[in-house]
Order: sequence, then structure tokens, then C-alpha cells
Amino acid sequence: MPLAMVAEGETRIITDFKGREKTNRHLQDLGFVRGEKVRVLGENGGGMILMVKDVKIALNRGLAQRIMVED
Amino acid sequence: MSITIALAGNPNCGKTTLFNEITGSKQHVGNWPGVTVEKKDGVCRGDKEVIIMDLPGTYSLSPYSAEEIIARDYIVKEKPDAVINIVDGTSIERNLYLTIQIMETRIPMVVAMNMMDEVEERGDEIDCAKMSGLLGVPVVPIVARTGKGLKELMETAIAAAKEHKKPELPRIFDKELADAISAVADVLGGADSDENNWKAIKLAENDDLIEAGISEDKKRSVEELVKAVNKIAGGDAEAKIADSRYQYIAKLVKECVKKSGKGHVETKSDKLDKILTNRILALPIFAGIMYILFACTFSENFLFIPELPSPGVWLAGIVEEVWALAADGVIGAVEGMGASEWAMGLVSSCLDGVGAVFGFLPLVLVLFLLMSFLEDSGYMARVAFVMDRIFRHFGLSGRSFIPMLMGFGCSVPALMASRTLESDKDRKITMMITPFMSCGAKLPIYAMFAATLFADSNQTMVIFSIYMLGIIVAVLGALILNRFAFRSETSNFIMELPQYRIPTLKSVLIHAWEKVKGFAVKAGTVIFASTVLIWFLSNFNFSGMCDMEESLLAAIGNGIKWIFAPLGFADWRASVGVVTGWIAKENIVATFGQLFGNVSEETVEAIMAGEEALPAIGEVFNQVSAYSYMAFNLLCMPCFAAVGAMKREYGSWKWTLRAVGFQMVTAYVVALLINVVGSMLF
Repeated sequence: MPLAMVAEGETRIITDFKGREKTNRHLQDLGFVRGEKVRVLGENGGGMILMVKDVKIALNRGLAQRIMVED
Repeated sequence: MSITIALAGNPNCGKTTLFNEITGSKQHVGNWPGVTVEKKDGVCRGDKEVIIMDLPGTYSLSPYSAEEIIARDYIVKEKPDAVINIVDGTSIERNLYLTIQIMETRIPMVVAMNMMDEVEERGDEIDCAKMSGLLGVPVVPIVARTGKGLKELMETAIAAAKEHKKPELPRIFDKELADAISAVADVLGGADSDENNWKAIKLAENDDLIEAGISEDKKRSVEELVKAVNKIAGGDAEAKIADSRYQYIAKLVKECVKKSGKGHVETKSDKLDKILTNRILALPIFAGIMYILFACTFSENFLFIPELPSPGVWLAGIVEEVWALAADGVIGAVEGMGASEWAMGLVSSCLDGVGAVFGFLPLVLVLFLLMSFLEDSGYMARVAFVMDRIFRHFGLSGRSFIPMLMGFGCSVPALMASRTLESDKDRKITMMITPFMSCGAKLPIYAMFAATLFADSNQTMVIFSIYMLGIIVAVLGALILNRFAFRSETSNFIMELPQYRIPTLKSVLIHAWEKVKGFAVKAGTVIFASTVLIWFLSNFNFSGMCDMEESLLAAIGNGIKWIFAPLGFADWRASVGVVTGWIAKENIVATFGQLFGNVSEETVEAIMAGEEALPAIGEVFNQVSAYSYMAFNLLCMPCFAAVGAMKREYGSWKWTLRAVGFQMVTAYVVALLINVVGSMLF
């Protein structure tokens, strides 16, 4: 399911990326890789704050929609 | 012979702090040739032979933004003698991703393990000696903020540079993949060359920039081999390579890092974020912080205590007094030399013109000090995130908000800040609308009109409404540009939120000074030259010295005033004001001071501060046309210094002229609406 659906406080494992190639690469550079744990620290109407590899990263919801995680 | 050492690392890893610590004040800031990414270099403290090059922060050597391309090209093409790779010890895995990629270029390098104090505070342990052994690259623990470990770091880096100690290629790929990649390197000219090996990896990663540099005859065989690599990697070599690097790092970290906490521990930063990025509280808190920021800079009744000046106003007062003393001295000296009357006039108007800007400098300095504090503390990244939710409706990413916010101070650094936007469309639109934010130099214009024509109304509300007008027009402008001029989808928002840190005084000062410098230079050059020009034009015509009404300036003003008739101010002096405003917006007040009654410098300053009125302008303006005039000057072409910044950032006159054209049309339409609707209502 898309990362955008994950509730605050939950941790999931990344399975796939559905975005454009350049965006996917940038996400990889930032630590978003398949098999990696991602934790949802917070969200507001427009975006999410995530924790990946000990780093806090903010994404807009549209992008979180294109990162797939384990159900 | 001198040695060049480059600093490379992720954004927010403490790179700039380290740079400042190593070089002290001996820095040189310029631009990288051909692009508008800031280039900073400096000489190492204690060793003049060592030049330190600060590269833009980058997450990877597969570039995503213009800044990342610079960092990569410098390492790969210019080949510094050594690279110091700064790693934030608190997010070691992500940071080491770049380390591995730099190792792949096999340039002599040292890893600076930064933020060791915070690592300890968390109760974690990083065994740098062990990591050094496993990586084959020296790893030096440091705390950049306090300067701890820097001596050893520099000694190690200089030694690595002098000995040309190349790191081993990290063994991150399995044999099959490694063979497939080295087959690509063979075609490029041999796997014994570091450059070919590195290019082969990048080709396998689908790097378009490398692809463009390969000769036609090799292209086909390279493409075949890259396909083979992809097949081995299960279809997606890029992901596989990223994966292999991270797996290698995970193993390394497991060996060398002892983590105290089990799982995720809520830090102070997390607690702060719960409040500062809260769905409901975030915006009011931000508004409050902005209010405090502006109050510290501009308020005459600081903390609501009547007559208590804010730090900004207080400083400005001191500078004005000192300047007035110095100016009197200069005028006295010139008089003593027996200068003629017109020479005296020229000297004193130059001093007035430049002095008006210098008096303004402290306000800008205070504003930028506070802004730099917010930026360096990590709060601005949160603001961008919070604003993204709103900006998305107007087709912009939240990142555009930072340049716009800086626009309230001065458009020049604000336009420069837009370079951090990754999307070209966002950058272009942001630069067009940033000057709509009412910059500090426009405030004296409002103060003059408010004191003169709105004396009986709520002056603060008049000024505040102009600021709001700028914001509303900017937002609508973005919406219109997105709909009709650019028509591409809104870019994504990806931004690291660094941990909150109290910035060091030194870094805030350096940061703020970099921004104020442009303003100071402007006072010394553009404003000085323009004052001379205006003085000449307003005192001469073709037959020699004359009265203001018969001067060349009056002729110009009379020639163009019809343009402004529909806006409500068809007066030559008002027209001249618009033109001198392009030299510097605060110039309008000085010009009006000269043209509407020849008032003294002190009076001009009092008018700028809103303490005194200029009754003569009441002959030309009523409240509606005054408002229209303020709106026009707020929105029309910014000062030449800002246009120059636009030209540098756009990199083309075509886009600069488009932006200026857009601003002119917007200003005209808005002022026209104000005049027409206002005249009907009042």
C-alpha cells in the first residue's frame, strides 16, 4: 500500500517506488531504499514527516502516494 | 606548492561550520563559472599553502540539483589534492552513502566524523579507528562547532594530499555485477583507469551526464554492456547498486557503531516538531515568530513600550548620528578648500543619498541576523514544510516560501536564495513574484505617505495593508503564471528536516554579513552614482544651471507623466520618483524631499521614519492616488540591484525582461484598479 496511507507513529518497510526515475534516484540518495524501515513521525493535511536511517525527511502527500510499503 | 582540499558532505552535516573554523575569516566568496551556485574558498588557518574549497552540500554524486552537479564535477574533473568528507555521526548510514561514492572516484580522502558530542549524548559509540581500518580511509572524530579534533583532521588531510594516498575501491558489488561493470570500463578504455571505472558505475546507474560525453563509436557497445549489467541486476541496475552500497554501509555500521537505544527514541527535536509542525498550531506560531522578528527590526514602540526603540531602530539611530557628524565634517572641509557653490551642492547631495542608505543598513542587518538565526537553527526547513500545504494550491512548492520571506528584507539575497529550488519552473515563478514582497527599502515610502496623507487614519493599518497587498498579488501572480504561462504540474516537496540546533554566534554573523554586504556595496556604488546623476539632471538643462522646474529631470518627468494619468498621479515629480525608485526604492523619499520643497537631510530622515510629514505632496496626491502610487512602486520593477540579481539567477536577459514586464503590467493593472475603484468609493 502507499506510504501516504500509513498512520502516524507506525513503521513500515519500503517495497517499491512508482515515481519518475529522477525522483526515485533522489529518494534513494536520501536513504529510501527497498527493504528499509520508514517511520511516520507526523503528518499535516499536505505532507508527512518521516524517519529513514535516523534522518527526518518531509515529503508532500502526492509523493508519499508513490512510495509503496508492506501492508 | 600549494595544496587544494575540498570539503564535501550532505547538506546540514556541519560543512559550513567546519569551513568557517578551518579558514577563519580568510574567505573568498564568488560564483562557479557559468552557473549561479556560490563558490567559496579560503586559506587554511596556520598553513597558507593549503587552500580549502567548500563544495555545495550534496547527497550523492548522481546529481539532482545544479548545486550537486557542481560538487560532483569538482571532485571528478578538477581533482582536488584531497577531499575531506564530512559525515554527520548522528545519521551515519545516510551520510556514508556519499562517502562510498567519493571512494569510487579514488581521490585521496579523509572522513571527518562530525557531531561526535551529540553521538555521545545519545549514548552511542562510533569506533573511528576500526572504521578507518575497514574502509581503508582515515576517519577522524571531530566536533566542528567547538573545533575539537580539527588539528588532527587537517594534519591527516594534508598528509593524504601530499602522499596521494588513493582509497581502495570499496568491494560493494557481488562478483557477477562487478565483472559486468568492469566490462563497461574496458570499452571506455581500460579498467585500470580510475576514471573509466567510475564512469562505468555511473553508466550502470543510468547517468545521462556521463552518457553525453561518450564518443559515437563506443556508444553502441557501451549500451549493450549496460543492458547486460541491468539484466544481472534483475532489471534495475540503479536500484541494485544503491542497494549494494547501503548493504555495505549497514555491515560497516554494525561493526563500528554501538547504539545504546533500542529502536526509536523521541529526542528534543521530535518534541519540538510535534508543536512547531502541528496541523493547527504551526501557522499561528510562525506568524508570532515573524511578528517578533519584524518588531525587533522595525518597531518604534518595542515590546509595546512607547518610545522604546527596537534593536534595529536603535542601531539605525546611532549610524545616522555618526553619519551626520562625518558628513558635517566633510562639508566643512570642502568649504574650507574654497569650493564653489555648485560643488558644495553636489557633495552634500551625495552625502545625503548615500547616508540615507547607510542609515538603513542596521535595519537590514538586524533582520538578516534574525533570519540567519532561524535558518541555521533548522526552523526554516519546517516553515517550508508547513507552507507547502498552502503553496501547493497556488502551484508552488513550500520551498519557494523561503526566498519570498527573505523578500521582506531585501530582494537581492531573496532572489539568490531561489537557486536552491530544484524545479526550474518553481525558480522562475518564485523570482518573478519575490519582488512583490515589500522589501525594507519600500517602507520609507509608505511612512512618508502615511504621515502626510493618512495622518488621521490608522497609519499602521495603511502600511500593513500594503504589505498584505504584496502577498496577495504574489499569490495570485503565482496562480496566474502557473495556469497560463507554465502549465506544468506542481513539483514534489522533498526536504530533510535537520535537528534543531542553537547556531553559533560566529556562523550567524558570517551568514548575515554575506547577505548585508550586497546592500552595503549598493550604497557605495549604485546609489552614489545615481545621486550624482539625479543631482545633475535636476540642476541643469542644456543652457547650464537652472531651477528645478526647468531642469532636464522636469523635462523627462513631464514627458512620461501621461502614462500615469489613469493611475491618478499625472505629475512630473511623481513620475521622476518612480524612475529614481528603480535606482533604490528609498530614493523616492529623497527625490520627493528635493522636488517638493527642497527639505534638508534631517527632514528627509524624519520623513522616512514617518515622524514628519511632507505637506507639499498633498497638492498632487489625495488618499486614493497616494495608495495607488504606493501600490505601483511596491509592485513595479524592483531596484536595479535586484534586476541585476535576477539577470544573474535567470542567466538570460530574455527571462529577466519577461519578469520585469510581468511586474510592470501587474503594477499598472493593480494601481489602475485601486485608482478607479477607490475614486468611486471615496
